[in-house]
Amino acid sequence: MGGKIGLKGTDGLADEAVRLGATPIAADRALASLKPLKALISGRRMERDLDWVTCSGAMGGDALRITSFESIEIVHQASSPTTVDDTVQAVQSFLEAGVDLILFCGGDGTARDIATATAKTVPILGIPSGVKMYSGVFGITPERVAKVVFAFLEGRVQAAEADLLDLDEERYRCGEWVIRPVGSALTPFEPTLTQTAKAFAVEASEAQAKAEIADDLRDQISACRDTVFLFGPGTTVQSVAEHVGVEKTLLGIDAFLNGRLVERDLNERAILRLLGDKKNAVLVLSPIGAQGFVLGRGNLQLSPEVIRRIGTGNIVVVATPAKLQRTPVLHFDTGDAALDRELGRNGYLSVVIGYHLRRMVPVG
Amino acid sequence: MTNTSPKHTEPLERTLYEQSVAGRRAITLPKADVPDAPLPDAQLRADNGLPELSESQIVRHYLRLSQMNFGVDSGFYPLGSCTMKHNPKINEQLARLPGFASIHPLQDAATVQGALEIMHGLQEALKEIGGFAAASLQPVAGAQGELTALLMIRACHADRGQAHRDRILVPDTAHGTNPASARMAGFLAVEIPSDARGNVDIDAVRAACDDRLAGIMLTNPNTLGLFEERIGDIVELVHAAGGFVYGDGANMNALTAVVRPGELGIDVMHFNLHKTFATPHGGGGPGSGPLGAGARLAEYLPGPVVEHDPAADPRYRFARPERSIGRMTAFHGNFGMLVRAFAYIRALGAAGLRTNAADAVLNANYLRGRLKSEYPVPFDRLCMHEFVSEGRPEGSSARAIDISKRLMDFGFHPPTNYFPLIVREALMIEPTETETKETLDAFAEAMLQIAAEARDAPEKLREAPHATPVSRLDEVKAARERIVTDRAARGSDGEIG
Repeated sequence: MGGKIGLKGTDGLADEAVRLGATPIAADRALASLKPLKALISGRRMERDLDWVTCSGAMGGDALRITSFESIEIVHQASSPTTVDDTVQAVQSFLEAGVDLILFCGGDGTARDIATATAKTVPILGIPSGVKMYSGVFGITPERVAKVVFAFLEGRVQAAEADLLDLDEERYRCGEWVIRPVGSALTPFEPTLTQTAKAFAVEASEAQAKAEIADDLRDQISACRDTVFLFGPGTTVQSVAEHVGVEKTLLGIDAFLNGRLVERDLNERAILRLLGDKKNAVLVLSPIGAQGFVLGRGNLQLSPEVIRRIGTGNIVVVATPAKLQRTPVLHFDTGDAALDRELGRNGYLSVVIGYHLRRMVPVG
Repeated sequence: MTNTSPKHTEPLERTLYEQSVAGRRAITLPKADVPDAPLPDAQLRADNGLPELSESQIVRHYLRLSQMNFGVDSGFYPLGSCTMKHNPKINEQLARLPGFASIHPLQDAATVQGALEIMHGLQEALKEIGGFAAASLQPVAGAQGELTALLMIRACHADRGQAHRDRILVPDTAHGTNPASARMAGFLAVEIPSDARGNVDIDAVRAACDDRLAGIMLTNPNTLGLFEERIGDIVELVHAAGGFVYGDGANMNALTAVVRPGELGIDVMHFNLHKTFATPHGGGGPGSGPLGAGARLAEYLPGPVVEHDPAADPRYRFARPERSIGRMTAFHGNFGMLVRAFAYIRALGAAGLRTNAADAVLNANYLRGRLKSEYPVPFDRLCMHEFVSEGRPEGSSARAIDISKRLMDFGFHPPTNYFPLIVREALMIEPTETETKETLDAFAEAMLQIAAEARDAPEKLREAPHATPVSRLDEVKAARERIVTDRAARGSDGEIG
């Protein structure tokens, strides 16, 4: 939780998140994986052979019951509210029960807690529902997690080692983007269905490419007077903004009108308030390196309602050629499947990679 | 460039400035038979910095430099996408005939009818070869041909009230000049990925076809040396969206007298006379990039072009196509190259050109077959005039650059490397039709031996070349610290830097 209200991760901030109006999205995300999984295995032998061990209530039991799985055993009673200790104890119980795969909802923090407890004895797979999901153990969308689990149960996908990355949340909240490798974990790896860990290498020619992208954007800004330009989070957009001549926060969504700052670090409500009914807006975003998420990772303030208000045709995606080389496929995971389909309707996205230079990049 | 090898502590050849001795002269000028007219003092320099040498010093200097050089006349030159074929020497003789070499571009057309007849003949030949309605000899290089074609496309859209069409699709295998030309012509270049068979990804083309589409730039065969299998569908998609199809004729050597691009639906295409039609290339240039255009764009061709009316006097005259975008160069293109290309086409005729194309394709496939076990070909299907393999033999840590450098020890020019960008450690090999089977075999043997060395004696590759006048150069330093004049080399204090 915490994405839509503009928190940069909820580690140590759960109470603050709830006070600001965040609602946990894990339950919906879990159902978005479990329902298609149920449909996939329905009528097959594996449906009978599949035994679930889980935690009580919101930590797993409820979602599995709603999805009508049959063999469910509660091996850990979750406290209220749930804490990191619940996660660790639950994993211990899973390991004692001899599970073949641990499926979890959360972000990088949860992945790290679980990976520490499993110590690479059992593969883990994340249903993406955190704010930060840079590690390579997450499915690309909840629906695709179902496909990975299905393929794993059929024996078509093997477990492989994947990087665990995490952002230093303290420094992240201060506007500094420091991603650290924090270890590795086993995960059922299927490259088209499981996201690769975010690449964090910076290449020497990046600066020039970003300056070119900025020149292109400057042309667009001067051609669209009285249009609000919303610059999304990330180093690419921040550097491009710098070349355009505006000062932008690293992690927030900042609004500019006719080259001047209107408001910084907007959350979902603030964006909708700013745009009102009339204002035209253009949203500038860059995909997360290697993973390829344009929406749905690190920018949850851009809710489906915000995207619809801006208009799917008014999103400018920028990336340097070097970044795209590591990011062959782009993804949308707004939480609204119909909107994701609309955003990727052509199967390709035109990405600004230089001055008057675009690249058609496949959308997964 | 900086020579990193320890074995050359002395420069291989001293510059003329370094050899200069004050007061030495190569020639003695005759005494002036007119009164001295001194230059104003302000324009006189005490030391003009020119070297002072004897004639023999100068002759030997340039001869030695030429001996260190490598060209198509000294050895096999499989530089992919450049079509480094033999340049027949008779064409040189013809271009040097006084009637061609001594005329002036400002002469009245009535006094140079022979020259105009040659130009007209070449225009007609290119129309016939390309399947086009008209041709212009104006562009003086391939890339200028690209730019010209795009300016024509832009002018045509503007005339139709479609000036908002500002997107040009460019496949990711395209020559780097394609997106550059698109942007120079005021368009936005949109890069299109390749599919698993090395073709343009037609779904990406479809996704990019909207009301802002101005056209597509297609190289066929593409730079992977592969015939674009769905070219008909691509042309149809682009035309249906209101765009034009530009053909990059750089690889026309594979298709000459076999496929007529105009009949495939290409609207405008440039020819590289210095590739396909064997005019000198690179340092021996200059280039020449005439354009052929289909009916929809013919009237936008740059002028002047040569028109022929047997009943008129004079019979040949310069004229401007009706909606011409104007000149792309002063005068009439690189005329000497036009003479050579015309001579080449007339000497070979349709049958000869077709045989050349077939032999070029045969030679490339022969080498592909001989080398692919050691140099994997990622898009491995029947190639056209060239193929692209990976320069990293299995079981070795060698890279394309090492293979290329080692090849020089065998007396071969390296293939194009690291292009196209979509193939790792790319080696792009284009043998052309003018090489003998013995040469191709010798090249293949050298490549196979290098692959074995890459596994057994990798240092031999890393330190290559060993048999060239200078060993491996620090190319990065050369690119970053460009010292291209003697003054720069000496630095401000006159010492060699």
